[in-house]
Amino acid sequence: MDSQPLIAFDRVSMTLGGTSILTDIDLRIDAGDFVCVVGPSGCGKTTLLRLLGGLLEPTAGEVRYAGKRVAEPRADIAVMFQDYGRALLPWRTVAGNVSLALEALNVPKEQRPARIAAVLATVGLGARADRYPSELSGGMQQRLQIARCLAQEPKVLLMDEPFGALDAMTRQTLQDEVLSIVAASGATVFFVTHDLEEAVYLGNRVIGLLPHPGRIASDVNVALPRPRNQLTTREDPEFARLRRHLFDFIKDADA
Amino acid sequence: MKRALAIGRGLAFPAAAIVLCQIAAMVSHLQSDTLASPAAALVAGAHAFADGSILLATVQTLANAFGGLALGGCIGLILGILLGSSTTADRLMEFSVEALRPIPSVALIPVAMLIYGFGYRMEIAIVAFASFWPVLILSRNAVAGVDAALFDVARVLRLPPLARTIKIVLPAALPRIFVAFRLAAGIALTVAVTVEVSTNPLGLGYGMMLAEQSLHPELMLAYLLWIGIIGWGLNFAIVNAQRRLFGRSANVRTAT
Amino acid sequence: MNARIGWRLASVAVGGLFIVAWQLVASAHIVSPVYLPGPDRTWNALVRGFATGTLLAQLLQTVQRMLVGWLLASLAGIVLGACIGLSRPARAYLGPTLEFLRPLPASAVIPLGIAFFGLSDGMVLGVIAFGALWPTLLATVHGFAAVEPCLYEVSRALGMSRLAVIWKIALPSSLPDILGGMRLSLTVSLILAVVGEMLASRTGLGSGILVAARTFHAPDLYAGVVLLGGLGYITAQGLFALEARLLRWRAVR
Repeated sequence: MDSQPLIAFDRVSMTLGGTSILTDIDLRIDAGDFVCVVGPSGCGKTTLLRLLGGLLEPTAGEVRYAGKRVAEPRADIAVMFQDYGRALLPWRTVAGNVSLALEALNVPKEQRPARIAAVLATVGLGARADRYPSELSGGMQQRLQIARCLAQEPKVLLMDEPFGALDAMTRQTLQDEVLSIVAASGATVFFVTHDLEEAVYLGNRVIGLLPHPGRIASDVNVALPRPRNQLTTREDPEFARLRRHLFDFIKDADA
Repeated sequence: MKRALAIGRGLAFPAAAIVLCQIAAMVSHLQSDTLASPAAALVAGAHAFADGSILLATVQTLANAFGGLALGGCIGLILGILLGSSTTADRLMEFSVEALRPIPSVALIPVAMLIYGFGYRMEIAIVAFASFWPVLILSRNAVAGVDAALFDVARVLRLPPLARTIKIVLPAALPRIFVAFRLAAGIALTVAVTVEVSTNPLGLGYGMMLAEQSLHPELMLAYLLWIGIIGWGLNFAIVNAQRRLFGRSANVRTAT
Repeated sequence: MNARIGWRLASVAVGGLFIVAWQLVASAHIVSPVYLPGPDRTWNALVRGFATGTLLAQLLQTVQRMLVGWLLASLAGIVLGACIGLSRPARAYLGPTLEFLRPLPASAVIPLGIAFFGLSDGMVLGVIAFGALWPTLLATVHGFAAVEPCLYEVSRALGMSRLAVIWKIALPSSLPDILGGMRLSLTVSLILAVVGEMLASRTGLGSGILVAARTFHAPDLYAGVVLLGGLGYITAQGLFALEARLLRWRAVR
């Protein structure tokens, strides 16, 4: 067990446009953690993700990755955006979109096709490598984003409400796919969601944020066994207990 | 306050450019048959306003432009409604429209000249031809694009075709039809000036050519600026009318 | 598929009917043949013009002017438009000026061109290039200013260089707008080429039809007009085909 956490938020505060979004956030995340972040709208969970991704700089405090301050986006931290329709390049094929990540990393041209094929196979888009995003369903477009992130061979995956716009069935399929991908790659995951059940199902740790001021109000361990299963895990009494805990937590926030 | 700042920033560049030109002209003691200083242009413009010549030319150009727009626009609108309402008619006319539309309106200048000689009729005929097409195509699209659900409503209410057109189709298509006329208005002005520059001895275009030929560059520049103001002013007025009449629903992006 | 071909043939037949009607009107002298020669005389004039080589020479001149002016203008428009579109301060300062110049009739610049260059080939080319510049320039500015902001975030998250962002994200994203602008520019090029030829009496279809009108050679005039219509049609179709090829990725659903 590493004494040094992989990710550390050290008294981080964030003020945007005069409004205080986050206040005095202290958070430690270890390598291999699957951290889910929940909270009502406006609590700052997306801001927290963007700080970790290097897309924002904190107004106060420090965000550290592997001991060093996060000042800009890093190659080993991959970001998956919420609105997949706008985060994909419509003029490039599926393979072309994945290639973008490899080009940004200056991966030599000869190595690219093999890596693209491998990553597309992982997400099940191998047969659609020559299609354009406009020809894919929502679920497939989101898989394409996952593929692009995986192409970076990231140590950390940041996911911003990735399944919010999908139907329930697709959501469940993708949840399991993400779990197996993460299990295989050993990446650390920072997963923002408004779906409490999803947070408990996926994570080994759930962080609850409350707004005004944006702060961490709950940090629970999820001791459910892995691998998770859509039926058995959700019927586990521990699952129900955690879900009730988070439910109450959110309700209290409205009070 | 923000708006004032934006306007100020927008005026900074042209103001600076004009001032620089003026300084350059004064420093080099400009005496030329082809160039004139901004100040000289303004003076020439003032004179042209004072003796009414530029106003007369403006009236002539606008009369030609609006006359042609009215003629071509009305015919285009009626045919556009027809083609938009009837898929059969639209399909049957497809080839003819495709074949006639690409004829550049300027190519018809000699034809109109042949038939009418010089004057108002010739210019109005050409402007009418040029304004006809955008109104035809866009109003056809506007009518064809009326929500199918509205046609169901008309059927359920058992409206006869004319009533259906007047009470449902036209009001629904009106915002886009307005945009069609807005586009055609710009084309009408451009074509009118083009006809005047190339052949017709009437209006602002002709005034400009006359100034150039008589070696009065300052007058020519004054006309140029005035044409720009007219063009911009016309567009501005129509855009504002559109906003007032249709509100945000009229912010339809026209296809380029 | 068969229905489509059927309708297409029907519409061509309708077009044929119009030509027949034209012929009938002309033959019956309902309109004086001085003003309206029939399709038969127009066709003869076309054939004659090509046989003697005159029409071909005029056509080539017009096409050459149009294309050269258009290509120059498009290149300048794209480069300038990209620079302005990508820079917020540039857009703030230059935007209003561009918006003021947008409705300015391109032909209003012709007297200026004549003043500077006289009635020469250079003048015609200059006017064409200047007039054709604006649609492409304005469309390019709009395209580069309207790039999906999320894609810029993606590029930041991937650590792409500024040049890579412009080349791989901004430019492809703006391509639909740019091509639309270039299509408009081509229309403007044709118009200004014709007008320029009329004014400067350079060899070309423009001056050809003007001379025909002045000498009351109506069939030659109409033949030239038909040719110009054909030129407009072919160039427009060519650009549509190019657009379809380059913009294959657009949502077909």
